[in-house]
Amino acid sequence: MKMAWKEMVKFKTRYVILGSIIFLISLLTMIIAGLANGLSYDNASLIKDIPEGTFYMEAEAEGLYNFSGLNEKNRAEIKEAVPEVAFFSIQMGELESEDGKRHGVAFVNSDGSLFPRVKEGETIVDDSLMESAIKEDEGLTNRLLDGELKVDTFVEQQKFSHSPVAFVDRADFDEMYRTDEYQIAFVEGEDAPAVAGLERYTNDEFMNTIPSYSAEQLSLNMIVVFLFIISGMLFAIFFYMINVQKIAMYGILKAVGVKTATLFRMMWAQMAIITTISLILSVGLSQLLALIMPSTMPFMLTAGSASMMSLVFIIIGFVGSSVSGIQISRVEPMQAINQGGV
Amino acid sequence: MPILSVDGLEKTFSSANREEKVLKGINLEITKGEITALTGASGSGKSTLLTIAAGLQKSTAGTIIFQNEALTDMNTRQVQAIRAKKFGFVFQHAHLVPFLTVQEQLELMMDTAELKWSKDRRKEEIRSILDLVDMWGHRDSYPGTLSGGEKQRVAIARAVVHKPEMLFADEPTASLDSKRSMEVMKLLRTLSRERNITVLMVTHEEETLEYADTIVQMKDGVIGKGLV
Ligand SMILES: Nc1ncnc2c1ncn2[C@@H]1O[C@H](COP(=O)(O)OP(=O)(O)O)[C@@H](O)[C@H]1O
Ligand SMILES: [Mg+2]
Repeated sequence: MKMAWKEMVKFKTRYVILGSIIFLISLLTMIIAGLANGLSYDNASLIKDIPEGTFYMEAEAEGLYNFSGLNEKNRAEIKEAVPEVAFFSIQMGELESEDGKRHGVAFVNSDGSLFPRVKEGETIVDDSLMESAIKEDEGLTNRLLDGELKVDTFVEQQKFSHSPVAFVDRADFDEMYRTDEYQIAFVEGEDAPAVAGLERYTNDEFMNTIPSYSAEQLSLNMIVVFLFIISGMLFAIFFYMINVQKIAMYGILKAVGVKTATLFRMMWAQMAIITTISLILSVGLSQLLALIMPSTMPFMLTAGSASMMSLVFIIIGFVGSSVSGIQISRVEPMQAINQGGV
Repeated sequence: MPILSVDGLEKTFSSANREEKVLKGINLEITKGEITALTGASGSGKSTLLTIAAGLQKSTAGTIIFQNEALTDMNTRQVQAIRAKKFGFVFQHAHLVPFLTVQEQLELMMDTAELKWSKDRRKEEIRSILDLVDMWGHRDSYPGTLSGGEKQRVAIARAVVHKPEMLFADEPTASLDSKRSMEVMKLLRTLSRERNITVLMVTHEEETLEYADTIVQMKDGVIGKGLV
């Protein structure tokens, strides 16, 4: 729309100021969202990489995986309904490397369908342990274990509760934690039957049973939501102030027959132009940041989630400006005619 | 057959603690192609009559018939469409859009009237009306750079560029000096003669009355004796 653009060019400063604020807020939002996502990966990539499905835990465990145990009967029941079910257990523990250093890990024992299968006396570990100078074929020990666990291979990004995952065989897991029951069952896809005595969790719900996970995500997501709200209010306030200054002009334009819808479209066009330019800049910059950020900084922002957020910003801008645009529809032509003007 | 007729028009402004009857039964017929001047003391209801006749505010009672259609029976949207397509307005102040050039002000008005003119036709019309008001040289100027008289001439061009049937002008010369006022009046008469535009204007300056075809005297909300 030509008129919208002309006005922005003529009154550059105020629109540039609004644009820069929107740019900064949207950039901040993207950075924090990227951080939330990165942290969630750093926390629970073991679970995050699992396709959407349903997790089962014992109802009595009340969401605490290490208190859950699936007995023979439970397992048979799930398996009967969904043959391709996967079972696994997780326990936090530690491994001592040959140089005598201790490393916190999350031991994962699985039936091999969801996670890599490991031979007895061996382990497959997250590659972050490589940075702690652990090498392939190195023998790792644990107080609860008589023998050694030889490092078979490393896997990329397999973490649980911020600890690197160590996949171990059932016999070794049993020796350390004295249980031959799997804690958790997982069924991919949507149809997962209810099983008596077991509680079902979605992927998100399951991740939120990790205490550190829900705490981190909740606070970061709160910030993101607040930034969205702030930017919505910013749009509303900005266009309110601009519209107040233009009441007389709106009145005259209405008097000569310009439709209210045309005036709204003009405002929306300005909102769209400002938001689009600001978002292109902030998405671009955040993607650049994702590239240059050191790997120790958990930052992860996919183009998909960046564009999702951009969409939210555009919707918010639309709502914010429309709310303040209500005054436009209230302007009476007569209000303006008797006032002075350009 | 008048182009616009006003019949039994009344207007009462009411606020919380008082009521003021500003128009007390006005009957008036405007002849097509003529310049009709409303004159009378300040506060006699001239502007109120003009703005109601132009569909800018509602009456309390009475009817306005424009080209055989009752303006007083139409909804806001229909009246707005009439104002956009059939009416032109000049106010005491020019009220130009500050961020549009002279030429763009006129384009806006042609868009508002939803004219299906070709690009060339639009250019021609702009050229011809800006020549007439002697503002073609300023076509790319912004209102902020123009003098009061220049702005008012642009306002007049804007009021007629979409070829309206009627032009409503409320004291179009009030903010101008006497020499400029005469120029604007001459311009209005030229428009009325050359483009067959009917003009209803308010003025209380004696010297501008000589340009009117019909003079309507108002006093305390009623029409006095007409003089020609
Ligand atoms: N919106 C309004 N609310 C209340 N009173 C009004 C309003 N507009 C005009 N009036 C009153 O109506 C009377 C006539 O006003 P107006 O039509 O502007 O007179 P004129 O143009 O002849 O000077 C005045 O007394 C004025 O105070
Ligand atoms: Mg008046």
